[in-house]
Amino acid sequence: MDAILLAAELVFRVDTLAAIFMAACFGLFVGSIPGLTATMAVALLVPITFFMEPVPAIGAMVTCVAMAIFAGDIPGALLRIPGTPASAAYVDEAFRMTQKGEAERALGTGLVCSVIGGLIGTTALVLVAPVLAEIALNFSSFEYFWLACLGLTSAVFIATASPIRGFLSLLIGLLIASIGLDNPAGTPRFTFGYAELYGGIDFIPAMIGMFAVSEILRHMLGGVKPQAGVAAVRNLLSGIGRSIARYKVNIARGSLLGTLIGALPGAGADIAAWIAYALSKKFSREPAKFGTGHVEGLTDASAANNSALGGAWVPALVFGIPGDSVTAIVIGVLYLKGMNPGPTVFLMNPENIYAVFMIFFAANLLLLPLGYVAIKSAKQVLRVPRRILMPVILLFCMVGAYAINNTVFGIATMLALGVIGFIMEENGFPIAPAILGIVLGQLLERTFVTSLIRSRGDYLAFFERPIAAGLGVVTIAIWLTPVFIMLWRRHSRRQAPGESA
Amino acid sequence: MKINDAILGAVLIFLGFAVLLYARTLPDMPGQDIGPNVFPTVIAIGLIVFSIPLVVTGLRKWPTTGAVQFADWAQSGRGRLNVLITLALIVLYIVFGESVGFIPFGIVIVGALLLLQGVGPIPSVAVAVVVTLAVHYAFYSLLRVPLPWGLLMPIAW
Repeated sequence: MDAILLAAELVFRVDTLAAIFMAACFGLFVGSIPGLTATMAVALLVPITFFMEPVPAIGAMVTCVAMAIFAGDIPGALLRIPGTPASAAYVDEAFRMTQKGEAERALGTGLVCSVIGGLIGTTALVLVAPVLAEIALNFSSFEYFWLACLGLTSAVFIATASPIRGFLSLLIGLLIASIGLDNPAGTPRFTFGYAELYGGIDFIPAMIGMFAVSEILRHMLGGVKPQAGVAAVRNLLSGIGRSIARYKVNIARGSLLGTLIGALPGAGADIAAWIAYALSKKFSREPAKFGTGHVEGLTDASAANNSALGGAWVPALVFGIPGDSVTAIVIGVLYLKGMNPGPTVFLMNPENIYAVFMIFFAANLLLLPLGYVAIKSAKQVLRVPRRILMPVILLFCMVGAYAINNTVFGIATMLALGVIGFIMEENGFPIAPAILGIVLGQLLERTFVTSLIRSRGDYLAFFERPIAAGLGVVTIAIWLTPVFIMLWRRHSRRQAPGESA
Repeated sequence: MKINDAILGAVLIFLGFAVLLYARTLPDMPGQDIGPNVFPTVIAIGLIVFSIPLVVTGLRKWPTTGAVQFADWAQSGRGRLNVLITLALIVLYIVFGESVGFIPFGIVIVGALLLLQGVGPIPSVAVAVVVTLAVHYAFYSLLRVPLPWGLLMPIAW
């Protein structure tokens, strides 16, 4: 109980609340500008959180993402351009509604579903995380090794269309993670005599590069695109109550699905929205209406992408394994703040954990009024030209990358990873596995080496403890699925001609 | 900017072999099976193995796609030039930023990028000056990041 009061004291302070409010406005703005993603919003926020206390810093990041994910719906509905990838799944549905003159209903439904989804995701986080932390207290390096493997594996297989490209992306991330002194042997690797590389690749410039600079380069390559005009939005919340009541099953289903997918490492809000939309259509009583501007198509997916945010924090807080790219950044910040994620945080600093929970609820409740204002002012925000914004963002990125250690080396890191990220995305290599590789590389190597030292080189020891064995079997099963699918296809192909004969 | 898979695969295979060779130079840990060379070696082998199918599919597609394909919206040479200039400006800042200073260089970067995208000269300069001074104020004065003064050292505030 004391911890909860302490947490409330940490959250309900002027500086924390001010940070949350400003991050909310920032998130709504960035989310509603097409081409600027929610992850980019967080990456841009990191250099500023660097100068904050842990709780306001986390509060700012949580709020910023929740707002940005919702705000992505706004240009989706009004211009048919998703503001963030998480809104892409239902952008056609929402825009068709706008064409039918129902923009208000589309955005209002999206807002309320986002809030409900976010609250359900948060509730799941609050209920599940402490229980899992209790179990995780008994975890040894064997379990952590398999958890890291499982996280990286699901990032490669679930989140990507092409596992080969996913694997290569992951390997690039792991290679970046192995730079520097920070390995079990303490041997400098890939430093080539540069003292700056001894500490490894700094996480924050790397994130800014991969998520912001790559986007700026893409924009510069595309040149100037004309921006369409936007109609003003009128009475927003009329008739929302009826749609919510009618589709409450959809919202609940989307929220639970979103929470689960969010908790899977590497898969985040955007994938949750795609799967929720597909399921919604499959189980709908009127599937033919999907794609024509049917409000049911928005309910599942709008709830799913916001609930995924809470879900992603479960493995991040409990195991230090990020559930999506945003929590990957958050974990980097937590380490910087000395609040290393893991089950011990729940024991040693429970007030920090409760503070995170409170901020999650506050951010989702705040979404309702602020989201309303954002929809109302959409016309003005969407008029801000991207060709002015992009150079400003670049300057901001450079200062942010510099500010971490006050050396231009940070800018060089940002530039290198920006170019790598740009080439990867342009050629269909998913970014998420690389990010997870950078975050989890050291954990993977350390747990592998310590486990082998403990077992004196016996590989079977990786399967001796029950939970480690379970995680190991699941991981290996996922690795083998492509092989099985290939064999099965070959088998059925061989049978097909026999049947026709 | 779609680069043919064969080129990407070849670059990654080359990277894999370079890492493999480099890992051999890392010292062993006395009395231990797993030295600091094991992890990079595994990564290198992975890079080589998974890049082979990339090279194969790339070579098969080569006759239709060629070495590099640009999306429809990136057909103009102008966009490619813009990307190169943006990269060059960042590199120049890394090299000369300390001596020239943040404010002059920041104005050049923002102004140049605005001009490249077809913003008029007067609004470009105005936006560049205001934005650079605002970022400088936020980070130098409020957050105490020691951004370099460079040429403006005599009038530093």
